[in-house]
Amino acid sequence: MIRQRLKTNECLGCEIIGTYAIETKDLTKRFVLDRGFLDVIRNSRKRNVLTTLSGVNLKVKEGEVLGLLGPNGAGKSTLIKILCTLILPTVGEAYVNGYNVVKEGQQARSSIGFITTDERSFYWRLSGRENLQFFATLHNMPQSQVKARVEELLDVVHLKNRADEPFLNYSAGMKQRMAIARGLLNDPKVLFMDEPTRSLDPGAAKSLRDFIKDHIVTERGKTVLISTHQLDEAEQLCDTIAILDEGRIKVQGSPEELKKGISESSTLGDVFSFYTGKSFEEENVSQVPFATPRQRKRGRGFGSMKRKGY
Amino acid sequence: MAFEKALWFIKRGYLLQMSYKFDFFLRMFFMLFNILTYYFIAKMMGDAAAKYLEPYGGDYFSFVLIGMAFSGYLMISLRSFSESVRDEQMMGTLEAMMVTPTSTSSIIALSSLWSFIFASFRVFLYLVIGIFLGVDMTHANVLGALIILILTIICFSSIGILSASFIMVFKRGDPINMLLMGSSELFGGVLFPIEVFPGWLQNISHILPITYSVSGMRHAILQGYTLSSLAPDILTLALFSIILLPLSLFVFDRSVLKVKAEGGLVQY
Repeated sequence: MIRQRLKTNECLGCEIIGTYAIETKDLTKRFVLDRGFLDVIRNSRKRNVLTTLSGVNLKVKEGEVLGLLGPNGAGKSTLIKILCTLILPTVGEAYVNGYNVVKEGQQARSSIGFITTDERSFYWRLSGRENLQFFATLHNMPQSQVKARVEELLDVVHLKNRADEPFLNYSAGMKQRMAIARGLLNDPKVLFMDEPTRSLDPGAAKSLRDFIKDHIVTERGKTVLISTHQLDEAEQLCDTIAILDEGRIKVQGSPEELKKGISESSTLGDVFSFYTGKSFEEENVSQVPFATPRQRKRGRGFGSMKRKGY
Repeated sequence: MAFEKALWFIKRGYLLQMSYKFDFFLRMFFMLFNILTYYFIAKMMGDAAAKYLEPYGGDYFSFVLIGMAFSGYLMISLRSFSESVRDEQMMGTLEAMMVTPTSTSSIIALSSLWSFIFASFRVFLYLVIGIFLGVDMTHANVLGALIILILTIICFSSIGILSASFIMVFKRGDPINMLLMGSSELFGGVLFPIEVFPGWLQNISHILPITYSVSGMRHAILQGYTLSSLAPDILTLALFSIILLPLSLFVFDRSVLKVKAEGGLVQY
């Protein structure tokens, strides 16, 4: 069983840490929640704590594409932000390209790219080219290389002809491609993508997925950790899928292994339901922006998700 | 590399500023209004305040022009670091910058660079307009003024970085900014000499760095004091800088760690 195999992997915690492209050991993150003024006066010693990650052990090999699959609030973004050195873990260790993300943050950041869906993370009044040149400089790239690198990436993301327009003129799909270009500026070994197709319509999302698969995974062989709650996206892009729910990795394996581990005819939605005890459709269909009322009523979004009574 | 980064931050600041052209010209226009207001107040006052202005050359317009021009650095220092933290948080660009190998303190320091260049441009305009309106700067000790300017920027920037640390953690409500902004204008000798105050109130003036900054600047630019005559102001500003700069960097580092632990880097 996959569950048993996962336990065996956990026993491998005694291996030398840092030998994988991404590796976490008992990673836990607790946030202290804000309290109301009256609540603080009533009980000043009380602390409201939210555990978003709990003892996460994850290993990603070089060149592997790992999909983090989970509902909203599962801890996907927190995990990615810890690995990108933007949030400090409460307990445990995390290594990216062999660098400890807490103690060797600068080296870790030099070797990673972070692709966020937040289109606000660009300067809207600067052009696409100026944005990329600015961020390339922050990656300690000599000016003699910046221009050529930016041109190369604009070409890769098919934005060369629009590169001198202000970022605010770009469509959602173009903004997302700019985010990918920015994530590739330092030619990172490891790429983190936090729900890269979240704000895109189905056509643009498919086009972006094809782009990621062809240009980033196949052509460049990057190690990619991608968080998503789109089953078809995970299935299309990922070598391995880790299901994260309530801050815990429930299972990790290839999509085929995960499905076969339940039954021959299982879908990834079934796997999700099996390990989390939740229906994937119920968790997510309300968030699918283009789901028809009929799809909502039947509890289906896009893709091949089928509801089973787990 | 640091130089190239600085140039890009300046370019970014310039491009963003120039994308709001109307705001730029409006600021320049009202700066002229401000100068003219004090020019006519000085004209009206005549020699009435000569007793207090004696140590600064005796002319109120020259006195207030230097005060206004260089107090701008304090205002910029107090605002620019905290505003750059807040602006980048609100624009959503802070996280994207902090995932690069450039350190957080460099990002914040470099983000404020354009504001200092803009402030220096304003000071330059103040001085040029002042010369046209009859302020005598022919005896200026340029080297002395430059030393005071550099110490002023270091000292005020340290206070600004402390202020940014509060903004980083609490997002709003920065006590340093509120306290120093008001008290410096009142007690720092910007618009009138501190000698006007009774002795006990002058004690407040003596603990504010701006007092030594504008006083030293006036002595260097208007009266051409030698470096040895400027030594008391220079040494006091140097002392403030030696204490405040490491303190502010330490506090800022701690605040970044706190915010990373809380996960509040992009909250505003």
